[in-house]
Amino acid sequence: MHWIDWTIIATYLTWIVWDGLRMTKRAHNIEGYFLASRSIPWWAVGLSVMATQLSAITMIGTTGQGYVFGMSLLQYYYALPIAMILVSLTFVPFFHNARVFTAYEYLERRFDGKTRSLTALLFLLSRGMSTGVVISAPAVVLSVMLGVDVTTTCLLIGLPTALYTMFGGVQAVTWTDVKQMFLIVFGLVAAVIVLIMGLPDSVGIGEALTIAGATGRLQTMDFRVDPTITYTFWSGTLGALFLFVSYFGTDQSQVQRFLTARSVDEARTSLLMSAYWKIPLQGLVLIIGVFMFLFYIFTPPPMLFNPVHDRQIRQSARAGDYLALEQRFSDAIEARRKAAEAAAAMDRGGDAVARSLSEAAFLGADERVKQVRAQAVELVREVSGDRTYNDVNYVFPTFVMTHLPVGLIGLLMAAIFAAAMSTISAELASLSTATVIDFYRRFGHGQSADDRKLLIVSRLSTGAWAVFASVVAVFAAEMGSLIEVVNRFGSFFYGSILGVFLLAIGWPRANGTGASVGLFAGMATVGYVATTTSIGFLWHNLIGAVAVFVVGVIVSAITGGRPVPASGAR
Amino acid sequence: VKGMSRAYVRVLIVWVVTLTALYVFQRAFS
Repeated sequence: MHWIDWTIIATYLTWIVWDGLRMTKRAHNIEGYFLASRSIPWWAVGLSVMATQLSAITMIGTTGQGYVFGMSLLQYYYALPIAMILVSLTFVPFFHNARVFTAYEYLERRFDGKTRSLTALLFLLSRGMSTGVVISAPAVVLSVMLGVDVTTTCLLIGLPTALYTMFGGVQAVTWTDVKQMFLIVFGLVAAVIVLIMGLPDSVGIGEALTIAGATGRLQTMDFRVDPTITYTFWSGTLGALFLFVSYFGTDQSQVQRFLTARSVDEARTSLLMSAYWKIPLQGLVLIIGVFMFLFYIFTPPPMLFNPVHDRQIRQSARAGDYLALEQRFSDAIEARRKAAEAAAAMDRGGDAVARSLSEAAFLGADERVKQVRAQAVELVREVSGDRTYNDVNYVFPTFVMTHLPVGLIGLLMAAIFAAAMSTISAELASLSTATVIDFYRRFGHGQSADDRKLLIVSRLSTGAWAVFASVVAVFAAEMGSLIEVVNRFGSFFYGSILGVFLLAIGWPRANGTGASVGLFAGMATVGYVATTTSIGFLWHNLIGAVAVFVVGVIVSAITGGRPVPASGAR
Repeated sequence: VKGMSRAYVRVLIVWVVTLTALYVFQRAFS
């Protein structure tokens, strides 16, 4: 990489730490540190919500998904606007008016101490682990792209974030999120422009999109009713609705964002910002993948997008097989390019029969490219011994490194860092808040502890979580499959935690015993469904929430319920 | 409260328009 690009990355990292540390003076008490004294304007909260949700995995993984599978992943986000309205109507006024620091604090007022501790503990476990993954996934890819070892990239992502979050608190998290969000969107738009300009003059955007459409990559709605297909219109609108209500309404990393708003209505307005912009933004990320597919039809792609494996095989005993495959790959790519040009020409002037014939020829040529690439991937799996190997996450970074001009490469790499850091900072702050408020202050070191002492403990707790997440990150980077395990681990209780909150808000006679028993029943049900059926993971959220709610209602009734409070004590 | 109700209705309208546009986009290029 050119020194100019390195300078841009270094400037970004230095500037963001400086910018975050400037906020330290505003975090002089515990409310300032964890909730920014509830003083953040709605638009900054809204951008922070979006920046927290958009991680580096979105930038490198989702663009790769768009390249391989097209737009179908977009369906995952269709329920988000509805979820935002539901969260605005229910959780936002409850938490804001209760003047709580954490979502779990509210559960003690409504149920009892054990329900609060249990949900807070589940949050700490899953979020602590997943923060490690949010560091390690981009760290692995960046280490290959930048040619430095993975521990270094873990530290490059984790250390600056830990620094400004530890000292600047939520003020720093929010205001750096805002700037990081602008950098991310700028990077994505720049990538789309370069990709469109990279198409040959003889092929217009409309014709190019027709080619992508022929491969099924522009399918944005799949109406098949089959719970085993992961992304359909139904799983995206129903299953994901429960996931998003759970994430935005009960996950401290998001709840903390809207608790910093000045009023209930400003908090609601900040959430509605995502309701408007999330689907278009995710569409932009996925269309980058589709345009990369089109770009690489007319510009020969590498056979493998991960250069480390490419080198590894060339030096192995199977180098001969690899070279032969490469020759076949290059022939298949050339044949596909010609077929695509013919299809584009027919799209401009041919009749219906000629159009469908040329389209079929293109699809056949594309299929041959896919077959050769599948063989190459299989070869990597044999040589490296890694049965789960695939290079989806390397498509976008490889495109950036090889086809963007100097300067823009540095900016896009900085944008990937920004996407990772904006998520990690919010997660570290939320982990520290739950640790201090739901455990440290709750047990023994009570309400009487003075603010200065709590502030020191909070900063130390943020630092400790950063160390924990970095250790998980380094381990996860070495064992690729750990990432998958952590993701599945989280999905086991997302719906169940939502069930507890639904019980709290929606069933006045529910009691603490019902909520705790329901929580275990929900997790057990999801565990059973996940291990014994092939029902897609988005449905697990709905199943978990319903199981907790039903069991919670029954157990509450059996154990005597709870007298309905006279007014407003819910 | 009235202001927020209007905001929710606006979100719903934009949501329906977005999904319809995506459906039309899919049909146009498939």
